[in-house]
Amino acid sequence: MEDRDKTLTFFESEGGFLGVKLGDNTYDRVRAVRLFPFTDPAKYISIRVGNDMGEELSVIEDLAALSPEQRELVERDLDLNYFLPQIKEIISIKDEYGYAYFHVVTDKGPVRFAINMGGTNVTKLSETRLLITDINENRFEVRDVTKLTKKEQRKLDLFL
Amino acid sequence: MILKIKIPETVREQINEADDDRIYYALPVDINRESMYAENSYLIVTTKRILLFEEGKLVKALPISECGNAKATARVGQGMLTIEQNGTLTLLCRFSHGLIAKYAYIARGINILASGRFEEVESNEYEPSCPICGRAIPGTSKCPHCSGEGGIVKTVRRLARPYHRSLFGIAILMILASVTTLLNPEIQKHLVDKVLLEESPSKSAAFLCLAGMFALSLGIVFVNVAKSFYSTKLGARMSHDLRGELFDKLQATPLSYINDRRPGELLNRVVSDTRVIREFMETVFCNLFTVAFIFVCDIVFMVILNPGLALLTLVPAPFAVAILLAFRKSINRRFHLQWVKNDDQSSNLQDVLSGMRVVKSYGNEKSESEKFLRLSNEYARVQMNNESFWAVFNPIIGTVLGLGLLIVVFFGGKQVLEGEMTAGELLQFMTYTTLLYQYINWMANFPRALMRLKSSVERISDVLSYNVAKKGPGEAIDINGEVVFDHTTFGYKSYKPVLEGIELSVRKGEKIGIVGPSGAGKSTLINLLMGLYEADDGVLLVDGKDIRTLDRKSFHSQLGVVLQETFLFSGTILDNIRFARPEASMTEIIAAAKIANAHDFICKTPGGYDTYVGEKGYSLSGGERQRIAIARAVLADPKLLILDEATASLDTESEYLVQTALSALTKNKTTFAIAHRLSTLKDCDRLIVIDGHRVAECGSHDELIAAKGLYYELLTAQLQMQKA
Repeated sequence: MEDRDKTLTFFESEGGFLGVKLGDNTYDRVRAVRLFPFTDPAKYISIRVGNDMGEELSVIEDLAALSPEQRELVERDLDLNYFLPQIKEIISIKDEYGYAYFHVVTDKGPVRFAINMGGTNVTKLSETRLLITDINENRFEVRDVTKLTKKEQRKLDLFL
Repeated sequence: MILKIKIPETVREQINEADDDRIYYALPVDINRESMYAENSYLIVTTKRILLFEEGKLVKALPISECGNAKATARVGQGMLTIEQNGTLTLLCRFSHGLIAKYAYIARGINILASGRFEEVESNEYEPSCPICGRAIPGTSKCPHCSGEGGIVKTVRRLARPYHRSLFGIAILMILASVTTLLNPEIQKHLVDKVLLEESPSKSAAFLCLAGMFALSLGIVFVNVAKSFYSTKLGARMSHDLRGELFDKLQATPLSYINDRRPGELLNRVVSDTRVIREFMETVFCNLFTVAFIFVCDIVFMVILNPGLALLTLVPAPFAVAILLAFRKSINRRFHLQWVKNDDQSSNLQDVLSGMRVVKSYGNEKSESEKFLRLSNEYARVQMNNESFWAVFNPIIGTVLGLGLLIVVFFGGKQVLEGEMTAGELLQFMTYTTLLYQYINWMANFPRALMRLKSSVERISDVLSYNVAKKGPGEAIDINGEVVFDHTTFGYKSYKPVLEGIELSVRKGEKIGIVGPSGAGKSTLINLLMGLYEADDGVLLVDGKDIRTLDRKSFHSQLGVVLQETFLFSGTILDNIRFARPEASMTEIIAAAKIANAHDFICKTPGGYDTYVGEKGYSLSGGERQRIAIARAVLADPKLLILDEATASLDTESEYLVQTALSALTKNKTTFAIAHRLSTLKDCDRLIVIDGHRVAECGSHDELIAAKGLYYELLTAQLQMQKA
């Protein structure tokens, strides 16, 4: 067992998905899964067989250890599996009858969304980091509340 | 849900529709290939093609004939639509989480078209936000904003119809209240001008005026008390009636309707939304006509009395409304924040107190107390801020509202001094002004109260207007015990099938054991069999008849169910056993308890069969509860038995007792039993292994062991665990 080649070689499959070669085996479709999506998104990536997260082939401890081409392939699959826009700017928050309507600019572009006021839809990941879940279960992150302007922070105050 | 949105003309022109190639589905694509939010991008499915538009341009066109196995899958924060084109898995497009359900329907639609059929998939699920105004919809089929005033007025009128007489009476009282309120200043004026300011004021005339004023005040009190009394009574009655209606309706709706909603949401409709209606009747409606009447009359009287002064008085009114609204918004924000901080503090406290053993065993007391102090400090800070804000601004608001009166006193006083107005008229005017500003606060609140009512009424009427599929009376059945799953497919969420194409046919009297990993769909299979949910696709036949066409009562009366966690109602053991057949005799009940191995332990309890089992039966042990449930099933004499992990939570001895009770119960009856411990299924005629949404293996114990498949693996794993 020890002699088995444990290096993963990623490639792009015919349909555009992530595939991998491990020793003599070739897997046409694997998925990259973050083990610490918030604390360390670029480390500890679990590589799992198939479209439905089957058996684990390996855990990549640090993406930085891969070659740039290999790394890009994995990152592209991570992009397909995770979509967490970061809120950079708050244009407006309007609350109306139990819902709050956000108009924000994220690193993925400007967007509007609504959250339910009556629940735990704004969670604190840490003292300064927020995760906001909208009525459609889309998620948005505020990486550092203190990086927002005072005015923007006051708009958010209602949810903290 | 809308599966065919309006697409811009520029996109439509590029589609080249033909008579035999029309648009079936059209949805927005809101995440592009670079993982950025996309605009003006669409996925369009026509009879023959799948078209992908990015930024208004056609970038991909696939002939549906080459495609198959379309699938919408959920990822973190997004979803994707994949398809197999000539057998190769390809990514079609990505979209945000809100579109997943819609894409799941589209995927189904593509697969239907690919298989050469032409029917169009429709979705009964509700839109989460309004396609017209973009507002979130509070779980109803229509947006309370866009359903139009006509809609709400109609609903309110429908809800109010049984109470016409009370409403009419209250309306009369309201008008009476406003008339008495408005008469008072008139008498005051008379008292000042015609009595007090006369050369020789007559005492008797003054007394007459005073008596009139006293009588009016008394009248106001009476009318108001009566008005409040009847409004409260009516509000309580209305909400009571609605609660009853809602409850009945909820019991009649299929479980899927209840499951589609967030937990607690339906509870809210029964409890909170009816309370909103009651509160509206008590606090808003009971003053509605009074305020409106007083307001209008007040202004009319003021204008008649002195148009110039009336105009001046009204000048600060919009001002006051604006300040009031701003103040209220700020107060709401502040107190909401205070509430949140308080909540943080108490949930932390509860966390630590209930986890005290863990905290102490890891020696973390210090850091926990630091955390609590920080939260408590935060709460104190917010609270202090709020109190000082309140203390400073509340008097200021009072002053602003008194501004109108000040203007009246200043200009009116000047006119009196110049002889253009009498002192009595000024007094009357001042009273009118006070009245006016008294109700401005109320008026400013009104739209909010109305919107609250509107949302609640919308939510309630949404449940009440839900059409419970009328199946007619259904076919009464005398179950023989033959069950067939024919291509049965089902999922709790449209985009996540739990069971796919289940094929299974069971003979009368056969015992079927169901095994498989957790979450594979074992309990779902049983839920379908119990008729709690209806299959999305395929059918489930009992004695050759579609389960959907059967009379529910007749079907359920012949169904026996023993679940892992037995639910006993608070009541006696007797009540609980008799639940299955209220008319059963004592002898029958004792016989059933004996078969269920329950008779002996019941005898040992001081109350015998009359022992009170407590809330949910917690005064009994798990095994005892289970045996009572079995006695209940025995008494019902079911033709079809369902055992869902009936012995999983029991110790070995109770398990033995329950097992023997069960084998007595299942004799000659078609039985479906789920179990994790495979040894409990050794009596089964056939075992089915459910894995990956399907029946993975099916056969007798020996056959499955010989096949060395999943069942064999599960069994060896369990045997090894027992050895270790």
